[in-house]
Amino acid sequence: MADVINVSSGSQALLALSNVAGLSSVGPDSNAMIVPQLTDITVNNSTGVYRFKTLDNTAESAVTTPATNQITTNLIVDETTFFGDGSNTINSVVADGLFGASKNKTEIYFSIGFEGADTGDSILTGKGFISGLAPTVNMDAPVWTTPVTIEVSGDFTKATQS
Amino acid sequence: MSIRDNLITALTANLSGHSSFGISSELPYSTADTPLYLKNLRTVYVDELQEDVTELFNCLDNNDVMQTETTCTVYLATDAKNQPTDINTVVANIQLARNGVTAARKSSEVTTELDADVITYNIEFNFITV
Repeated sequence: MADVINVSSGSQALLALSNVAGLSSVGPDSNAMIVPQLTDITVNNSTGVYRFKTLDNTAESAVTTPATNQITTNLIVDETTFFGDGSNTINSVVADGLFGASKNKTEIYFSIGFEGADTGDSILTGKGFISGLAPTVNMDAPVWTTPVTIEVSGDFTKATQS
Repeated sequence: MSIRDNLITALTANLSGHSSFGISSELPYSTADTPLYLKNLRTVYVDELQEDVTELFNCLDNNDVMQTETTCTVYLATDAKNQPTDINTVVANIQLARNGVTAARKSSEVTTELDADVITYNIEFNFITV
């Protein structure tokens, strides 16, 4: 099989968050919040395009403009993850939870583990703001779920887990 | 307590005003090829639970959220020629026993079978818990 990234082991598609640069490693010994119970995660890197027409060309030309970067995910609401533990003094995302970090408009640093947290695994890092929380529940699926969007400020950086 | 225990407790309470009916905690097993509810008319028997566990939410970290669909059948047989005057109320009260179980979704369905001069009420309860 081609070099696909199969995440069915349950330890590979990871999202780590911190309000401190350098503390958002997906590694298990980091001080980052490793967001639990993600049901899906999507990384959007949408390059902007400006199109224009010229009299000497039969087709439009295009130039790129800065990309819009975004991470969208859905997760099962975990009480501590969503509302925070209220005590962590290193990482305010852990202390305030996803809701607090969104409400406080905290700038967060993130890492996305594509292959897990082993040495040499590919990760994407960056910074941004949590947005798009919309917890919902109903009696057909009586556990709270919510979408979460990270509006990325700046570019993604491809890195390797050390 | 299991769902079966909760059902028996609720049935006992709901039928307390119907002195001609009883409730057994025994399973409706058969002796001499005849199930107990056909031997003991007007006695309610609660069968063993049938459970089906499926994934409600499949998570990337494998901490999946599971749901359990539980089915339980309750049996009551009476004389078909001379039905008790309160049989409709009794069957309705048996169905209301579903409210004695904590579940996200609850339903009940009544079907009947006639065999000679005996009518058997099969009340099937369905519960979905997470």
